[in-house]
Amino acid sequence: MRIRDYIKDRKVAYIIGIVAYAIIILFLNAYKTNKQAIIVVTVIFFMAVILAEIWNYVRKRDFYRHLDSALSELDKKYLIPEMLKEADFFEGKVLYETLSECCKSMAEHVSGAEKKAKEFREYIEMWVHEAKLPVASLTLMCHNSDEPDEKMLTQLKRLDDNIENVLYYARSETSEKDYLIKEVSLKKTFSAVAVKNMETLQTLDFEVRTEGLDKTVLTDGKWLEYILGQLMANSIKYAAKERSRKLLVTAKESEKAVTLQFYDNGAGISKADIPYVFEKSFTGENGRSGAKSTGMGLYIVKSLCDRLGHGISITSEKDSFTEVTITFPKNDFYFAG
Amino acid sequence: MNKILIVEDDGVLCKELATLLKNAGYETDVITDFNDPLSGMLTSGADLILLDIGLPGANGEVLLQDFRKKKDTPVIMLTSRTNDVDEVISMSYGADDYVTKPYNPTVLLLRISAVLKRSRGSLQGRSYKDIAVSPVKGSLTRGEKEEILTKNEMIIFELLLDRQGEIVSRDEIMTALWDNDEYINDNALSVNISRLRAKLTELGVPEAIETRKKQGYVLR
Repeated sequence: MRIRDYIKDRKVAYIIGIVAYAIIILFLNAYKTNKQAIIVVTVIFFMAVILAEIWNYVRKRDFYRHLDSALSELDKKYLIPEMLKEADFFEGKVLYETLSECCKSMAEHVSGAEKKAKEFREYIEMWVHEAKLPVASLTLMCHNSDEPDEKMLTQLKRLDDNIENVLYYARSETSEKDYLIKEVSLKKTFSAVAVKNMETLQTLDFEVRTEGLDKTVLTDGKWLEYILGQLMANSIKYAAKERSRKLLVTAKESEKAVTLQFYDNGAGISKADIPYVFEKSFTGENGRSGAKSTGMGLYIVKSLCDRLGHGISITSEKDSFTEVTITFPKNDFYFAG
Repeated sequence: MNKILIVEDDGVLCKELATLLKNAGYETDVITDFNDPLSGMLTSGADLILLDIGLPGANGEVLLQDFRKKKDTPVIMLTSRTNDVDEVISMSYGADDYVTKPYNPTVLLLRISAVLKRSRGSLQGRSYKDIAVSPVKGSLTRGEKEEILTKNEMIIFELLLDRQGEIVSRDEIMTALWDNDEYINDNALSVNISRLRAKLTELGVPEAIETRKKQGYVLR
């Protein structure tokens, strides 16, 4: 609060004061009071007004300055009442009370919504758990029958993948920490994903190669498995049509991080689409032209990476290749997230 | 014959699991009384236990912890909950492996046989006829003669040897290879098998591996 703002605010009071002073002087002149008395009255009047205004200005200034600086420093603005000292003037008190009431009511509202979201997520987790039982039974039934039906197994795998998508979408959207960071073997995680997709990769005659996967990274194993599963699903979905198909997974280690490169020589992504591939519901050229796309896969992958503190980037050339790079920063960097 | 105890409350799934295991040549036993599954687990005399985490009235992890205080029979946890927390808890309570539903049946069988093999401690000193098999050195030795196998050939040979006399499908061999980070294709598998055959012939056992059309291979 600057002095100019304060004076502007008090304009009317000052006008009233000056008018009142003018009237007093007029009366004093009318009663023929002596000049000295008028000077004394003038000095006392203005001294009193100036002192009162300085006092008033200073206490308000202190309160508003504190409010300003607290507001700009705070990351979560709604916590402002916690930072304020209660004011000793009326408007300040009203402001303080109002803010406190607002925040209390908002906190209740938010915690209600959070509780609902949490309950919903817990239900999704439970539902996924339940939904997987019949899928597991059906998979075994198929396998146990005299002539295992490949077509049926493929559809069951699709169903299972869709169920997983719901689970990880729910996981990626909540703010709760529901992952567990530990040392995870890249080799083990990738081979689990590869075995899951073995039939499809072989039918499409993919050449699968890995390099340097004998490293461990700090991540949540199940989340990473899902992430790699999504990348592989994309490589399969947008596989090259007229060239021999390749999938190359490489890990490199530097002082600061381990990077995992997931390369395929498939359909690629056009330059115009690249900046948007991680956006929700973005389908782009590939989604429109060929395989069905929901635009959710890479969005979920990106949110999961963000939550785990991994970097993710994509480079691609239309009709040539796509390479997704995931960066796992080492220990000291991780705890920042 | 190894006996496997299934602790799974979903009736249908339990039955299918039992069928799968029986087809793979295991004897099976199931728990039907879930009021006190622990005593059933302790008295079954199984060589391996498949334990579901989400049991009615009891948590599989707690059950495992109680079980481990008394017995060290290998246990593989089965669950449809895909999160690392459960896996870490299970492993720290002494589970030997952790498999999530819906499992790939071939992978599940591979895991079972790996756990059983580990618990028997039979990593060294195996033999086929009068050939000494050393997975650590990656070699087959018969008398003076020694043949070095590649990693792939050893995985294939061990798998066939584990189930000597039975048909092992190409799919199973392929899954075992992929599970070991060897992502080979169909042609490469044929090449690997014929190289393995040649090496066995060198050692004086020709026609050890028999091809069964559309079914797989048998080690005689």
